[in-house]
Amino acid sequence: MNAPTLQSFSPVQPDETRPVDLALHHAVSQFYFREARLQNGRQARQWLETMVDADIHYWLPILEDRFAKDPRPQPTPAEPAVYNDSHDDLRKRIERLETGLVWMEDPPSRVRFLVTNIEAYHTAEPDLIGTFCNVHVYRNRRQRDETHHFYGREDVLRRGADGQLRLLRRKIVLDQRVVLDKNLYMFL
Amino acid sequence: MVKVNELVDVAHGVQSKRVFWDQEVYEQELERVFGRCWLFLTHESLIPNFGDFVTAYMGEDKVIVVRQKDGEIKAFLNSCTHRGNQVCHADSGNAKAFTCSYHGWSFGADGSLAALPLEQSAYYGKFDKAGAGLREVAKVDSYRGFVFGCFDAAAPSLPDYLGEMGWYLDTWMDGTGGAELVGPPMKSILRCNWKVPAENFIGDGYHVGWTHAAAIKVLGGPLSGLAGNAEIPFDDAGLQVTSRHGHGFGVIWDGLGLIHDDPAYREYAYANLPALTEKMGPWRAKLYTGHWNAGIFPNCSYLYGTNTFKVWNPRGPNEIEVWTWTLVEKAMSPELKAEVVKQAIHSFGTAGTLESDDGENMETCTWSNRGPQTRKGVMNSQMGQINDGEHPELPGIIGKNFIGETSYRGFYRFWAEMMQAENWDAVRANDATWKDALIKGAAEAKAAERAA
Repeated sequence: MNAPTLQSFSPVQPDETRPVDLALHHAVSQFYFREARLQNGRQARQWLETMVDADIHYWLPILEDRFAKDPRPQPTPAEPAVYNDSHDDLRKRIERLETGLVWMEDPPSRVRFLVTNIEAYHTAEPDLIGTFCNVHVYRNRRQRDETHHFYGREDVLRRGADGQLRLLRRKIVLDQRVVLDKNLYMFL
Repeated sequence: MVKVNELVDVAHGVQSKRVFWDQEVYEQELERVFGRCWLFLTHESLIPNFGDFVTAYMGEDKVIVVRQKDGEIKAFLNSCTHRGNQVCHADSGNAKAFTCSYHGWSFGADGSLAALPLEQSAYYGKFDKAGAGLREVAKVDSYRGFVFGCFDAAAPSLPDYLGEMGWYLDTWMDGTGGAELVGPPMKSILRCNWKVPAENFIGDGYHVGWTHAAAIKVLGGPLSGLAGNAEIPFDDAGLQVTSRHGHGFGVIWDGLGLIHDDPAYREYAYANLPALTEKMGPWRAKLYTGHWNAGIFPNCSYLYGTNTFKVWNPRGPNEIEVWTWTLVEKAMSPELKAEVVKQAIHSFGTAGTLESDDGENMETCTWSNRGPQTRKGVMNSQMGQINDGEHPELPGIIGKNFIGETSYRGFYRFWAEMMQAENWDAVRANDATWKDALIKGAAEAKAAERAA
């Protein structure tokens, strides 16, 4: 199988021969744990404003079940995708949640993210770090309604002049062909 | 056999809640609705070459839809004729043959059994391969590139099945040189009865301002006044349509592209309007720039003007698999197509801003009926009935406002007819009288108003 890689939508490649040092890996891990906590706590606005780069490309491609020998290339962001969002698109999703008119989130869902298998590598660009991690998100709603999703992230984080990390690229590889949920309106 | 006349009162526009819950209703639907109606499969443009295939559902039956050497499209049950195993597990691709993973029987693109292992030694060369091809779906046809299949050889032709709705569909399927779907489809599940989203898409302008209040408020633009039902455009804002075989829609005039935040789609459509008016006439020109919430009976729904296109595949009485494509016109530039795809998915894809408003309602409309006392009740679809009737220029039965339930009533009228009819001849026998109960309901509503 030709597994989809960052290359399909970003020229920035993690250099697997150059893992980041312990201090930077710690910073990357803390970035992901903080991100998970903000999403757990429904603080999407704070996530967007403090952790997401203005040039974000946030992408969840549709990955069909294809035969192993199928010669077609993997999808690019030029094709239909569940998420294909800019900063502006993400902001609008958050504004919707803030209207107070989202009946399905009243009472709110309970959502918890577990982030694991974090790898972080330098790239050809000194300020960009390529990362991989695995995520398990649990959503529980309406007494007994619960769903689990497992997915991989292939991210590029930008280290700003202030030393802060921000999310610049996110490719989400969902481990389901049929999304076994009513929607994926979560920040994955 | 289910007593369908206890489930649907066509003239009074009410349905038993059992239609969303009962297993026996569902089993009868699989035979009498999904086993006999034309069901959407794919679009021709998604399988352009010999051997190109997609897999799909027809009700609960899995099928493979394959482009043939001569350019025709056929569909086959996705089940080996040996021991019944599924022969194709891919969503799409190009295949010379479909080989079963169990014993290795191999079927050609035309469904015929091409080879089986040990044919000489184990079957002594006497196996009748000619009679062991994949079972072919009785009818496959496409209407302006949209491919449908039907298990019932006695069903009307696809154009006859679409009936009056073909005249409306031609507005955008033919007006500017054709439409197509962009895939692959997104797939997700809803734990709801398949008819809940089918009736919602076919007729529900009423929920838009309320269910989608948050998304519409953020959207801004002319629609934002609908949020929370603050402003409701009413008389002359649109209309509702239902037709002989239950297909229908509600249209809001000038609503095309308003869910999209890029004006390019509206500019494209309005630039087409003079030529389209010339070709299709003034009514369809007005429809062309409208926004339609629409359905093709039984389980295909679309929003023309937002351009999401869906099939609700039933999986038992209280679960469906939602498949979502994007509808574009062939004449659009690649850039505009990409923009329409992005906007349609942003609103009605699996993580869509409006899609995620609906799922909750559809699930609890279904699961509330788990309670037997709840299930004894009826559901109401009487809105606007007093104004239902025929129109001098528009085919079908027309409701006066886009917020109404005319097409709900028409959907359940035909559903009840298919559930009761022994065969398609019995359905055809009602061709001259299908409007009567709907019109009777309108007349009774008018009489009741006068008496009051």
